[in-house]
Amino acid sequence: MPANDKSPLSNGYQPVTWNFKLLAHDMLGGFGGMGEGMSVQIAPDGRRIIWLAHESAPKNFTAVDVSDPRKPKVVCQTDLPHANMRSNSLETCGNMMAVAYQTSKKDLQPAGFELFDISKPENPKSIGFFDCSGPHSRGVHQLWFCDGEYVHCASGSRDFTPTNALDDQFYRCVDVRNPSKPVEVGRWWMPGTRQGDNVMPPPRHTIDKGYRAHNTNVYPQRPDRCYLAYIDGGMFVLDISDKANPKKVSQWTNSPPYTGFMHTIVPLFDRGLMLVTDESTENNAKDWPKLVWILDARDETNLVPISTCPMPDPAIYAAAGRFGAHNIHENVPLPTAWQSDQIVLGTFFNGGLRAYDIANPYQPKEVGIFMPPAPPGAPTGTIQMNDVFVDERAIVYAVDRHVGGLYILEMDF
Amino acid sequence: MLDLFPSREASPFGRRLKRERGARIPVTVVTGFLGAGKTTLLRRFLASPEGQGTAVIINEFGAVGIDDVLVRDSTEETVLLGNGCVCCITRTDLQLALRRLVFDRERGLVPPFSRVVIETSGLADPGPILQTFSTDRALGGEFHIDVVLTVVDAVNGEAALEGMPEARKQAILADRLVISKTDLASPAAVDRLTQRLQQLNPRAAIDVAVAGALDPHRIIEPVTGERSSFVAEAEHGDGIASFVIEQQTPIAWPAFARAMDTLIALRGNDLLRVKGILNVAGCRGPVVVQYVQHFGHPPVELEAWPDANRASRIVFIARSIPERQVRDLFAAVQALAK
Repeated sequence: MPANDKSPLSNGYQPVTWNFKLLAHDMLGGFGGMGEGMSVQIAPDGRRIIWLAHESAPKNFTAVDVSDPRKPKVVCQTDLPHANMRSNSLETCGNMMAVAYQTSKKDLQPAGFELFDISKPENPKSIGFFDCSGPHSRGVHQLWFCDGEYVHCASGSRDFTPTNALDDQFYRCVDVRNPSKPVEVGRWWMPGTRQGDNVMPPPRHTIDKGYRAHNTNVYPQRPDRCYLAYIDGGMFVLDISDKANPKKVSQWTNSPPYTGFMHTIVPLFDRGLMLVTDESTENNAKDWPKLVWILDARDETNLVPISTCPMPDPAIYAAAGRFGAHNIHENVPLPTAWQSDQIVLGTFFNGGLRAYDIANPYQPKEVGIFMPPAPPGAPTGTIQMNDVFVDERAIVYAVDRHVGGLYILEMDF
Repeated sequence: MLDLFPSREASPFGRRLKRERGARIPVTVVTGFLGAGKTTLLRRFLASPEGQGTAVIINEFGAVGIDDVLVRDSTEETVLLGNGCVCCITRTDLQLALRRLVFDRERGLVPPFSRVVIETSGLADPGPILQTFSTDRALGGEFHIDVVLTVVDAVNGEAALEGMPEARKQAILADRLVISKTDLASPAAVDRLTQRLQQLNPRAAIDVAVAGALDPHRIIEPVTGERSSFVAEAEHGDGIASFVIEQQTPIAWPAFARAMDTLIALRGNDLLRVKGILNVAGCRGPVVVQYVQHFGHPPVELEAWPDANRASRIVFIARSIPERQVRDLFAAVQALAK
């Protein structure tokens, strides 16, 4: 899709800041290609530390002191053991951190997740490792860890042989109450994706990204539910009241006719709503539209899409890099996370960071845009905003996928 | 909406806002009689850092000699200016111009402007412009008038105020008044003009600008803070008076709404501007209301009160409506609603 002749991109990248105030920008020492793990810890000495996962090697994770959001300071940055892996996802809970390890090929190591004691942010100390490697496994792509007891993750396993190589990661629940000996307590996969299943494998999508788990959110409001995004399989609500035997409650998908890659599910419990994102994975908006969907979830067995968050004209943004939905602020159930059922903040690659007022969920309204100038060395010539987290002070942290590092902002709407 | 999708975070008026305009595009309306110096003021503002990202709409060509590069008259097209501003000239239709600005911004056809300044013609009554934002729900959802600023020149202003009802109305409806050309008038004349303006509009702060030099923040910063120093009744002439209704105890929203409905039904034409900050029973933050003649903006609840004063305060600028009658109406409706 060609860029409009008069579009900002065709005239050179044009930044937009609307109802956000940029407080600080940190390129993270030249390693500013960030993944989708962002979590805030209040360290024992009172400092506020944001832990950030990197999108790809060579770095593992970076910790930034954001006690003064106008003066961020990198306090720790670690390396991966080799270049054929990434630690795309992490979460902290108190002074413990779980970091996902995914390898680029099957049967490499380390593949799984590692647990750290982060009491001293400058010196994270490994206290446990859960191995998920195997002949058909790339390890863990994403994890959720908010209660200090269980890691819910999208993972492969040595004993799991998928019917299609792309379908290697499924939902696993791991007990980490003894961090030195994590134990799997339950798992669930989409029927038909494991060899030996008694149903046919699912049909492949035009853009085939796999029937596999992505986000695995579990909230204390419904500890018996896992809100599981399953990439090309849409999304599932799982009953995990018996962790050993998760059961499907419901499924919703928009694909086809859309092009799959469902990414994140955030339930808004009071409101009976659900936010669902897809991820744009193709450059030049070839997989447009990738959207943030709003579902009427008053009946969890009958999920009804009622609207999407409005996006600008794709013709303007299709010139370079990815354009479309990806991560949203997930109301992570921690004291250090902002909670809102009125505002949705999401990252849209070259569409930047965008905020929506969903007071009327039938008519979401864009209320803020932060589309900064392309950071120096940006391979696409644009920002590729990848993830967002908001702390309980309502300070917004957003990261670039390739080089831009960390942007710290205030909401001004 | 709260019935279907309840939220502990929201108020009956929707999401609680940090400020009245919420996420809407701020608008400054600049009025002033012919030759008052509006364009000079605007040009200086646009050249300042604060003026960057401003879209300008001139709703009519007046007799003012607008001949500089900032303002172009050719085609009613949106024009990108050298300093990064957008200048749109429309002769007749403010609504179309504003809608088009939003549309073009979304399509990337104009730069992502962050505010709009509307310069009215010298003879314009600002009332209909204010009303436009109340009656056009689409516009009201995108734009919010932060400031109505009226420029009065020190040389001819006094005569204009005496002889022209439009000039008086511009002064009466202003949030801020700016006296221009003080370097060309005697101090005594400036003093007389200042007193006359204070008499016409005791709510508004009065600034002085020589050759258009005015702190740019005075053009764009909303006036909520200044309005908190509500003043007593003032007679403006032309039968127009302003007064403030205050109430210390929380107001039940249905009673307030019904009282306003009654007032509007009976005397809507004479309600030139009504703005209030209300302590509504059951609401955490203050509720801001605005009316222009028959039309009310959707009320918004703010996250926090601007100061320690928790009294409800409503300013009326009205024609031939006695304060006593309004006060009695509110008291009667509240009493009946109990």
